Amino acid sequence: MKTLIGQVKLETRLFFRRRDDLFWTLAFPVFFMLLFGAIYGNMGWEEGGMRVVDYLLPAIIVMALMTTGIMATATGFAEERGKGVYRRLSLTPLKRHDIIGGQIINRYLIILAQALILILIGTLAFKVSIVGNYLLFWGVLSLGGFCFLALGFALASVIRSAKSATPVCMIVFFVMMFLGGIFFSTSIMPEYLQRFSNILPATHLNNALRMVAVEGRGVNEVWRELLIVIGWFAGCLGLSVKFFRWE
Amino acid sequence: MSTVVEVKDLVKRYGDLTAVNGVSLSIDGGEIFGILGPNGAGKTTTVEMIEGLRKPDSGSIRVCGIDSARGAEKIKQLVGVQLQSTSIYERIKVEEAIELFGSYYHKSHSTSRVLDEVSLHDKADSFVETLSGGQKQRLALALAIVNDPQVLILDEPTTGLDPQARRNVWGIVLRLKEEGKTIILTTHYMEEAERLCDRVGIMDHGRIIALDATRRLIEEVTPESAIELTSPDEGAEEILGRITGVSKLGRDGDEFILHTREAWSVIKELTRLCDEKKLSIESVSMRKTTLEDVFLSLTGRKLRE
Repeated sequence: MKTLIGQVKLETRLFFRRRDDLFWTLAFPVFFMLLFGAIYGNMGWEEGGMRVVDYLLPAIIVMALMTTGIMATATGFAEERGKGVYRRLSLTPLKRHDIIGGQIINRYLIILAQALILILIGTLAFKVSIVGNYLLFWGVLSLGGFCFLALGFALASVIRSAKSATPVCMIVFFVMMFLGGIFFSTSIMPEYLQRFSNILPATHLNNALRMVAVEGRGVNEVWRELLIVIGWFAGCLGLSVKFFRWE
Repeated sequence: MSTVVEVKDLVKRYGDLTAVNGVSLSIDGGEIFGILGPNGAGKTTTVEMIEGLRKPDSGSIRVCGIDSARGAEKIKQLVGVQLQSTSIYERIKVEEAIELFGSYYHKSHSTSRVLDEVSLHDKADSFVETLSGGQKQRLALALAIVNDPQVLILDEPTTGLDPQARRNVWGIVLRLKEEGKTIILTTHYMEEAERLCDRVGIMDHGRIIALDATRRLIEEVTPESAIELTSPDEGAEEILGRITGVSKLGRDGDEFILHTREAWSVIKELTRLCDEKKLSIESVSMRKTTLEDVFLSLTGRKLRE
C-alpha cells in the first residue's frame, strides 16, 4: 500500500512536469470550453429552452477524459517503455501492479480534477446548472474515464514504437472528437457517418453525460448508452491484457 | 573467499542463434570479475541472465546461495544493476530518482551518502534530462548501489564516455570494491579490464574461451615484454647481446628490440651499462603485452574491428 501511494505521488509529480500532458489535459479543454462558451454563449437550442452552452459542458468533459486516457496515458506509457524505464524498474523489487496501479489512480484523479475545473467554468462563467443526480453524474464520469484509460492502455499495448504513439493517438483522439458528437451533433451527419459515430464510445458517453447532467434523467434511461461504454471498456481491457508489453 | 555468484552451464538461444553457449563462472566475494569480449559475444546476455532480466534456456544461477529460479525476489534485494543503457524518467531530479529507487528496497543508503559515492552532490537538484553522458552513467551507478547490494553488475559502465568521465567511473568502481562489494562487469575495453579486474573471462561466440587472473592471463599467452631502445653506439649490439635474460635481440639500424621475461632486471642492467660502458641510449620504451594481445592470440582477431 505504501508503495502504491508512493507511485501515485510519483506519477502526479511527473504529470505536472510534462508540458505535453498539461497542454492536452488542462489547457486544451479549458480553451475550448471558454471559446465555444464565448461564441455560443446564451444562444438557444431548438429543444426545450436549453442553451448551446448547456450541451457543451458534458461534451467538453468527454473530450477532457479522452485527452487523459488517450493522449497522456498511451503516449506517456509508450515513451517510457521505449526508453527502457520499465525494463530498469523490473530489476528492482517494485511490482508491476504497483506501477500500473499508480498510473491508473493518478489518471483518475486527473479526470476528476478536469471535470471539476470544467464544471466550475461552466457554472461560474456561463451559468450552466447540472440538473441531474450528482452521484449518477460522478458514476457516469468515472465509467467514461476508465473506458478511455483502458483504451489508452490498449493503444499503448498495440502500438510498437514510441515514435508512432503520438500520431496514432492523435488520429484516434480527433476522430472521436469530431465524429463523437462533441462539437457537432451527429444528427447533421450523413447516414454512413452516423452509423460509424454510433459505434464510438465517445458518442454514447456524451449522450449519457448530457442526459444525466442537462436533462436530469435517471439510470433507467441511460443504461443503454452506458452498456456500450462498458462494452468498449471490457474490450479495451481485454486487448491491454492480451498484448501488454513492458519492453 | 567464498563463492558469491555461481553460474553453471548457462545456455540462451534466440531462434537459430545460440547467444550464450554453456557458460560456467564462479565469482568470489570481494573481487571484480570482468567479462571481456567483442560486441555480440554474449556478455550482455550472460549478465542479464544473472540479473534476472532474461530466463536461461538451461543452466543454473546461484547468487549469495540463492537459486535464481526460485528466489528471484530475494536476489533483487541483494543485487545492484547498471544496464548498458539505463533510462529513468526524464522529468525527475537526481535526488528524487535516488530516493525513489531507495524506497523500493527493504534497506537503502541515505540519498546524501549515495550522492557522495558517485560525486553528484552538485547535480542533486538537476533534472535527469539535463545530465551529461558521464553524469547519467554516475546516476546509473548511484541507482545500482542505493540498496547497498552485495553484488554489483555493471554492463559496459564506460562505453561512450570520454577519458575523463571513464576515469571517474573507474575511481568509483575501485572504491566500491574497497567497501567489499563483489563486482561483475562487462567491457570491450582492454584497458578497463586490466585496470579494474582481478580476474577476467574472455568471451567469444557465446563461450568463455579463457579465464584467469588478469595478470596471469596476459602472462600465459604472451609472457614476454618488449623493450624498445635507440642507441647510436657502434658496439651497442654486442653489449646488449650479453645482457642475461634477453631471449631475443632485434635490430633495425639504431633501433633495438629486446624480448625478455625479466623486464625489470634487464632495465636495471641497461642503466648499469649506461654508467659503466658509457653506452648511450636515446628513447627507451617498454611495452607490456596486453589483453588485446591475448585476445588476438586466442581468436586470431582484433577485439574491435
